[in-house]
Amino acid sequence: MTQRLAGLQRDFLGHLRNQPGGLPQAITPGGRIDVSRRLHIYHHAYRARLTEVLQDVFERTWAYLGDEAFAAVAMAFIDDHPPAATTLQDFGQALPAWLAKRFPDDAEIAEVAMLDAMLRTAFEAANATPLTLADFATLTAEQWARIGLAFHPSVHQVPLTHNAASIWEALDQALVPPPAARLDSETWLLVWRKDWRPHFITVGEIEALALQQLLAGRSFAATCVELDARFQGGGAVQRIGVALRQWIDDQLIVGLRDRDAV
Amino acid sequence: MSPADSPHRTPSPGFGLGLRTTHYADFLDAPQPVDWLEIITDNFLVAGGKPLHMLDRIRADYPMVMHGVSLSIGSADGLDAAYLQQIRRLADEIEPLWVSDHLCWTRFGGHNSHDLLPLPYTAEALQLVAGHIRQVQDVLGRRFVLENVSSYLGYRSDEMTEWQFLREVAEQADCLLLLDVNNIHVSSVNHGFDPREYLRHIPPERVQQIHLAGHSDHGDYIVDTHDHAVAEPVWALYADACRHLGAVATMIERDDNIPPLPELLAELDRARAIAARVAGPVDDTAVAA
Repeated sequence: MTQRLAGLQRDFLGHLRNQPGGLPQAITPGGRIDVSRRLHIYHHAYRARLTEVLQDVFERTWAYLGDEAFAAVAMAFIDDHPPAATTLQDFGQALPAWLAKRFPDDAEIAEVAMLDAMLRTAFEAANATPLTLADFATLTAEQWARIGLAFHPSVHQVPLTHNAASIWEALDQALVPPPAARLDSETWLLVWRKDWRPHFITVGEIEALALQQLLAGRSFAATCVELDARFQGGGAVQRIGVALRQWIDDQLIVGLRDRDAV
Repeated sequence: MSPADSPHRTPSPGFGLGLRTTHYADFLDAPQPVDWLEIITDNFLVAGGKPLHMLDRIRADYPMVMHGVSLSIGSADGLDAAYLQQIRRLADEIEPLWVSDHLCWTRFGGHNSHDLLPLPYTAEALQLVAGHIRQVQDVLGRRFVLENVSSYLGYRSDEMTEWQFLREVAEQADCLLLLDVNNIHVSSVNHGFDPREYLRHIPPERVQQIHLAGHSDHGDYIVDTHDHAVAEPVWALYADACRHLGAVATMIERDDNIPPLPELLAELDRARAIAARVAGPVDDTAVAA
């Protein structure tokens, strides 16, 4: 390694992170502005650039917190999570978990941020061609007994504890968001991409558990059997059947896992 | 031999613009008077979705060049081989006219500033950058195009000027140059050098592309913000560059406060007019003034 250059680059990045070091002594003095102002330009640009990235990905979180609070969050997050990756695509993915720790009594903040992050991830996820109802119409009973479902790479779901989805929707429409409230039933947030645009809905426990098992590779029939047993009298199979139709219409399903059945 | 006949560079494809999402519809709805488009490579290093879909559609109608911001060609701890492979795969997909990034460093030791930080102009840095460019060219299988950045500080350890460094890197690595005329102007104000002296030392046969952009004037220094129209001193310097370099692919680079496409097309027309007057017999004193 080139030692002198390495030392300079270590000092420069230390300066950006507010660490004391020898960088000022390495800078040519004189000219129209002094060394401290020259260094400040880079110190400011580093934070401004990363804050812009967070504002872009977490647009609704920004709207929810307001300019001042979001700027404070961004500064503190940037100091806690200096970017390491070569590109900025994943910068901020750790922000929802970070917000959950920073605002333990306001869990909806982290959940709004999680929704922002999931929508961005879905927007850039890999492409896959969705199946249509016609692809399912010819399946025999024997095939239904074996098949599993392959979902679009953008499909992702997480549990919600608060009304973050309602808050996000209100902010998206520039409306005053509802007061934060804890949800009184098991609710999951389902995100996917359809026609190049990310979408989300909230789903109940049976649909969420079915999707979770199917995403893990379990067959459709086995999933129905297990959830029917678990929610005795709860109409689980019917609920899963309705969900399946909705998944097909919403372009979530891109393949059948049993090769013989395709 | 004139610069246009250079064995190094691709003949100029004309005048282009940076492709920005706000203008996707303009390019999809109707043919635009633009010879080629430049994409920010890093915005398309994604698995799929609308960005790549739009890129494919617009690429069908326009030649493209790839301009990256994350290569960190001057990192003392080396290049990111995986990132380089991502660039290679995207280049295989869209078959750009050329691939460029900046003469700077952005990361070291696991921390990435994502800012185009200046290198010291030393023999040590020169050897490192030239070696990295050769490595890039081996992976991409093409000549790499290196852009001068704007800077706000210099180092006591500097052993040569930026233009000497740039020229020497291009020779040692046998690469091409993307001359950002606005960056030359910005740095000339911030460091107090003569931008025409800079231009005079740039080897014309190595210059593949020119960037024109706007900046923000803070009174005693200026910042390369790409959020304004091209400033008058930069247009004047562009005329000098055309005189020195001959016909070079030129584009307007706007990254923030992006106006409707017709405004950028009008700026591009001004670039065309300057290049035509400088290349032709007409006295361009009025333009360069």
